[in-house]
Amino acid sequence: MTSTLIIQAILAGVTNGLTYALVGIGVAAIFKGTRVINVMQGEFSVAGAIITVILLNQIHLPYWLAIACGALSGAAIGALIDILFVRYMMAHGANQQSFILLTIGIAITMSASVLFFVGRSGYMLPAFGGDNVFIVFNAVIRTHAVWLIGIALGITLGLRLFYHHTTIGLAMMATSIDADGAATTGINVNRMRTLTFALGGLLGAIAGILATPLISVDYTLGVTLTLKGFAAAILGGLTNPLGAAVGGVTLGLVEALSIVSISSGYKDVISYGILIAIMIFMPNGMLGRVGRRGG
Amino acid sequence: MAGRIAPYVVLLIVWTVLPFILPRNITDLLVFAGIYAIAGFGVSLLLGHCGIVNLAQAVFYGVGAYATAYLTTELGYPSIAGVLVGAVISVVIALFIGWPILRLTSYFLALATLALSIIGNALFYEWDWLTQGTLGIGGIPKLNIGSFALDTPMRFYYLAWTVAILCLVLARNLTNSRTGLMLRAMRDAPDAAVSLGVNLQWLRTRVFMLSALFGSIAGSLFAHYSSFVSVQSFNVDKSFSFLLIAVLGGARAPWGAIIGALFITILPEYLSRLGDFHQILFGVALICIVVFLPTGLAGGLEMLWDRLLRLGPKPKLKQAAHAE
Repeated sequence: MTSTLIIQAILAGVTNGLTYALVGIGVAAIFKGTRVINVMQGEFSVAGAIITVILLNQIHLPYWLAIACGALSGAAIGALIDILFVRYMMAHGANQQSFILLTIGIAITMSASVLFFVGRSGYMLPAFGGDNVFIVFNAVIRTHAVWLIGIALGITLGLRLFYHHTTIGLAMMATSIDADGAATTGINVNRMRTLTFALGGLLGAIAGILATPLISVDYTLGVTLTLKGFAAAILGGLTNPLGAAVGGVTLGLVEALSIVSISSGYKDVISYGILIAIMIFMPNGMLGRVGRRGG
Repeated sequence: MAGRIAPYVVLLIVWTVLPFILPRNITDLLVFAGIYAIAGFGVSLLLGHCGIVNLAQAVFYGVGAYATAYLTTELGYPSIAGVLVGAVISVVIALFIGWPILRLTSYFLALATLALSIIGNALFYEWDWLTQGTLGIGGIPKLNIGSFALDTPMRFYYLAWTVAILCLVLARNLTNSRTGLMLRAMRDAPDAAVSLGVNLQWLRTRVFMLSALFGSIAGSLFAHYSSFVSVQSFNVDKSFSFLLIAVLGGARAPWGAIIGALFITILPEYLSRLGDFHQILFGVALICIVVFLPTGLAGGLEMLWDRLLRLGPKPKLKQAAHAE
């Protein structure tokens, strides 16, 4: 293993890791706001990416507009899931099991829809900055990866500001901590939950759109992204966007270094093994905040 | 008494006659329905009695299938050895994996089992000295009982469904036994159960082991019936299918898994000209059941049955009893 190879692995790890982080931030945002773990977060990414691809290639929208529509469609799907199902189930006192099954059902439906409408092939989007690369200590990183890293970090910090310094963000937090209390102060609890799901969908779609120039998107990608995003969120303690970012990068690095040192076939075995171990042995994540329930 | 037995007799007759009147391809699907129902029972027990969403059933299904495939083709052992070795390996894996992960609950456990399913599939893929990877293992001998070869769908139909009914009876006895009472206590009031000395983790691990056993037996039957196994048969989608069987049928009714299994094997046949459309329908069905009919199709049928009885002669009988 040369040092160039290690640096190359680290760069790849950080890039993939921040993709997982974006998915994980979405999982964390929805859990923070509704106490529901969204088992279909990765499907938001696939949907956002596929819609962007279609708008760009079939309808020939300008790239920036296609991206905006793709990202917003993620938010719309998120809001619809809340309005159509979650609201009804919350009102009927559904248990956690039902929400797990609901989101699994939505995941199956969305992945099957992608398979049915666009087929088995993988799709890619053009990279920001084309094929240009930066050279870092003899290792290569694509301009798009640098964009991805920058945007992911920006979103992480932006969310932190959103939750602590905006009225809507504070209202979302209040709703998740004490729904009845929030309602008495005049917060529309249902709307906050819809907005939370929309935010989760938006983050998921952005993750998918940013990742698609680097990895090809097909109907099977959703489950992978969900699990890796969930691992990132768990590592970060689940309710903390900053934590999910740290968790995602950690996971990405472990994965990249295990590819270099062991074998690419065992990549998933290692990263999912770590996920299970973390859930069992570090229930509050690496940053050690209390706040997770149910394990 | 006769009134209570009559429906079962009718079901038994229908069950016996079905393969004679149905076309061969439908009988073939019914065999798969029986095999899937066995694996579905396991998922259904965990879901209905422990509140556990198990997405790892495809792993045990795969272990059973590969044990049968490897032992009968590579080593030339008799069929029963494959079934037994697969069952033992599955139960041992369930013990060693179940013990640590079953301390997790709800979402975390569901995602842990999903991760297990992907790990299992990756290992099946990587260990190609054992599984032949995507090429698969072919030429698995047909199952024999004595000198009687189960080499047609019709013959295998009787075996698969007999095993399925045995598993159903086993599951039913379990839920009606002392253990069943503990399970119910654990599901409905875990704190009270603990205070009465129920060891929740050991109880959940035992049900997980039983579930794995069902999965493995189903896998062995599948290997013998299709005579070919490859990694694609044991991917995450299969785990989703087994969960779907449990949820669609209704996890609290023991026979729910049978309805679920019939639904997911028969329906695609009639939608096959629409390509993969049935998968979308499965997802939508799962959503609808979870949102609108949490007791599943079996629960819905039971409700309908009760309502029919109430409209029928039942109330009169009650009045007569009071008069006496």
